[in-house]
Amino acid sequence: MNYGRELLKGNTDSLLLCLISRQPTYGYQIVKELEKRSNGYFQFKEGTLYPALHRLEREGLIEGKWQILANGQQRRYYYITEKGHNVLATRLETWQDFSSAVKAVIQPETV
Amino acid sequence: MTANASHYLNRFKAYLKIDQSIRDDAAQELYAHLQDKTQELEDSGLSKEEASSLAVQSLGSPELIAQQLYETHAQGSWKEAVFGALPHLLVAFLFASYYWHSIISLSLVLSLTVGTAIYGWHRGKPVWLFPWLGYYLMPVVVTGILLLSLPQGRGWIAALIYIPLAAFALVHIVRQTARRDWLYASLMLAPMPVLFGWFLSLGAGTGVLANDMWMARLQANASGIVISFIALAVATIGFIRLKSRTHKILSLLTPPVVILLAVTLASRASIDPWGWLILLFSLLAFAMPVWMQAKAYQ
Repeated sequence: MNYGRELLKGNTDSLLLCLISRQPTYGYQIVKELEKRSNGYFQFKEGTLYPALHRLEREGLIEGKWQILANGQQRRYYYITEKGHNVLATRLETWQDFSSAVKAVIQPETV
Repeated sequence: MTANASHYLNRFKAYLKIDQSIRDDAAQELYAHLQDKTQELEDSGLSKEEASSLAVQSLGSPELIAQQLYETHAQGSWKEAVFGALPHLLVAFLFASYYWHSIISLSLVLSLTVGTAIYGWHRGKPVWLFPWLGYYLMPVVVTGILLLSLPQGRGWIAALIYIPLAAFALVHIVRQTARRDWLYASLMLAPMPVLFGWFLSLGAGTGVLANDMWMARLQANASGIVISFIALAVATIGFIRLKSRTHKILSLLTPPVVILLAVTLASRASIDPWGWLILLFSLLAFAMPVWMQAKAYQ
């Protein structure tokens, strides 16, 4: 099993919540942002993003709303909810603690 | 929409057996993604056909996305699961408390079943509706069987008129249900093999309702009947709460088949050829939708 893929899978929700918390966004833009911000590190089949978005919406962490653009194209924009903000804050804190702990074990001289 | 995109979305929709409005929304979302991706690739110098083909490839397998979306949306809440299991529990309660003797109790349960089934049917057919619908349809089937057992050949005349009408109504409702999801048709018909299994194994025959011996046998087997319907209730809760389609199928198929086999094997001597035919029909009617859905997914 690819370790990097497993790590991404375990943190998909936090990454998505983080991006959506910055500004309401839609699926394709999320893919582009993830690619851009990670310098191409995060690569996956783009369609698998949508089940993750739907799962977060069902859990009440984000909310999707359809918007019609001037050219008639429809896009579903996702907004973070209050519950989503709270969950994200908790996860970021946990992640930072975890990351510091891992770093302290792997590279003790840099801590 | 290009042929590539259209084909992709059709495959996606055919595979995704969830509420139509959620399915259409998800397909529309994928379509918007394909439009954006295709436009970006066209801007980078690719032809429309090449761009569309690459955009579809970058999305990944439509079946995989559909499966993951199904697992997200197909899990019902505990409230839905308990409400879906309620008709089985009511039948179990009727036998556990011996209230099945009372016309008032039976009428109350029947009225509740009819009312709930009609309410759910007109409220977007939620998943909890289908077990109620199964009991709503049961009198239609049972009347046909009772008509067959009328004396002096009159039953056949009545059955010739009644059975085609009942079959038409049954097929119509099963088709409407299967349009949403084949598995819901099996969920709806799950009580049928269990009820008929018990009904026939207790030596049902001419003049069933007036037969004291049959009533005494029914009473003696009440605990087995109660356990059977509790097992159906548990299967329904499992079906609604589980995420994976395979697990849902196993949860749904196992209890009725096991109960039917146990009941009929224990009393095979008392079942006549007509009885075996009815049991075979009920088992086929119950299991056929699962087979149809497996075929649709190939």
